[in-house]
Amino acid sequence: MAGSTTVVATERRPAATVRPQRRRSVRRLVLERLAAVAFLLPTLALIGVFSYYPAVRAGVTAFTRWDGFNPPVWVGVQNFTQAFGDPDFLRSAVNVAIWTLFGVPLAMVPSFVVAELIFRLRSDRAQFVWRAVFVAPLIIPPVVSILIWQFLYGPNGPINTVLHSVGLGELARSWIADPKFALWALIFLGFPWVSSFNVLIFYSGLKAIPREVIEASALEGAGRFRQLVHIELPLIAGQWKLLLVLSIIGVTQNLTVPLLLTNGGPGNATLTPVLYMYQRAIDYGQYGFGMAVGTLLFVVVLALSIINMRVLRTRS
Amino acid sequence: MSAATLPGRRSATAGRALRKWSLPGHFVLAIIAVLTYVPAYFMIDNALRSGPAMQASPFALATEPKWHNFSLAWQASSFAYPGTIFIVVVSVVGIAITTLASAYAFARLRFREKEIWFYTVFGLLLIPGFITLIPLYVQMSDMGLIGTRWGLILPYLAGGQALGVVVLRSAIEAIPEELFEAAKIDGAGHAWMFFSVAVPLSMPLVIALALLNVVGLWGDYVLPSLILQGDSSTVSVAITSFTPPPMTPNLDSYNVQLAAFSIASVPIAVLVLVMMKYFVSGLSQSAVKL
Repeated sequence: MAGSTTVVATERRPAATVRPQRRRSVRRLVLERLAAVAFLLPTLALIGVFSYYPAVRAGVTAFTRWDGFNPPVWVGVQNFTQAFGDPDFLRSAVNVAIWTLFGVPLAMVPSFVVAELIFRLRSDRAQFVWRAVFVAPLIIPPVVSILIWQFLYGPNGPINTVLHSVGLGELARSWIADPKFALWALIFLGFPWVSSFNVLIFYSGLKAIPREVIEASALEGAGRFRQLVHIELPLIAGQWKLLLVLSIIGVTQNLTVPLLLTNGGPGNATLTPVLYMYQRAIDYGQYGFGMAVGTLLFVVVLALSIINMRVLRTRS
Repeated sequence: MSAATLPGRRSATAGRALRKWSLPGHFVLAIIAVLTYVPAYFMIDNALRSGPAMQASPFALATEPKWHNFSLAWQASSFAYPGTIFIVVVSVVGIAITTLASAYAFARLRFREKEIWFYTVFGLLLIPGFITLIPLYVQMSDMGLIGTRWGLILPYLAGGQALGVVVLRSAIEAIPEELFEAAKIDGAGHAWMFFSVAVPLSMPLVIALALLNVVGLWGDYVLPSLILQGDSSTVSVAITSFTPPPMTPNLDSYNVQLAAFSIASVPIAVLVLVMMKYFVSGLSQSAVKL
């Protein structure tokens, strides 16, 4: 990917015309390089020290036994084999697979529906107002919605009250304390799952579709559904891809919800690999083992992201 | 609206071709909006009620507001505000400046390893925060930054780079070449073109991203809970680990917590409302995609 773009960039350079002023253009290129260094240095220094270094360190620590204080001891792949032999870890992997399978569509589809509905409104003003309406819920701190759902799911919470009042009292339970329902309760949390950011991304994609394309298809007699399927969906594939990658990462690294709500319980019904990593490292001081779990998860997420980017090629 | 100068903007809606749909559209949007606003209503409503009243009827309107909840909440959490505001402001402004500079370099400068460096930054989008969480915690403790504001600001600065650079690069690339040419004819160097063309024209998007960062950092929980504890906690951690003062009846502690969160969302609400125009149009104008 990177290689091909560079080739294009060099081809664009008008080699023949600069020859008489070669020295000046060389000087300009040097200056341009210096400018590039100056412009890029803060970003590269920051991500080098505080993103890549800890990431690499995580990968190296994964092959050691380390308590965070004493010097790490190299143990090879022992942490990894130990993880795969641990039923808790395997359960956490199954949990996160289920969560991803259901959570990722929930993170994307409702936001797309809202964006599409707004996009099809007649007046620009109405479009602006509705976008504002769906952006404003940003102000609610994420921790609050966790606390609220904790109350909604409680044994005396409103969900059970409703069940009792419609005569389904035997279904009432403490939703996040029931091993059969806890994981589903966490997945359902956040209903109706409209994300401000995702709505705006989808909307921007729809907005960028050339007007003529849609008008032409309308003239040809394409119905709204056919326009949606044949024009809008393919033309915003780039947005779907971006949000798919971000949603997979978001769901798999969602630590706050299980940490605050269930801490992985009851039993290990809501244990996820990230929480498992956190507990092992922070609560038990097994940094090496925790990092091995983190590395495994990272490899899986990266593979999913790459597959996603390969399979869903952007048509342009 | 300065956004009008951004390229790619279409004065008329593409959706115009699809007129008839509006009424059912409004209706469905209204239903989804009501459902989306339930948590906000629940938070503010029950922040003003007592624990027993909330248990009895969770969604009933607070007819006799208990403002006392708010004063208790403020007493317990006000200590965290100055520190958190400092952290968020420094981080967000820092992110804006550094990502703009890099985005400009990737969009406008010619240097050989450009794509490699760009994918180095872009690749961070694929390295989820959790993988660096624990090593970052260890690193901060090695650097003696646990318990200090910089222990949080530096990771925040780094964490904001990838999305900002990727989004702003495409925005700066979309600025019409003529604007830069005009500046070049006047003898402008890159520093001048950066400040006089790229920065002003990408401002709506920069503000939108900054707002997104403010919201994210203000509500962040896990990393702050590891780096800053006790008296130096951030607002969101302080409220989450909130224990009611001894004299309060415990029955209301959840409501006092909701009151504290309501107070904590005021600054964000003001900011979002004031900047709504930039936020809604900034992100909507440049098609961000992969």
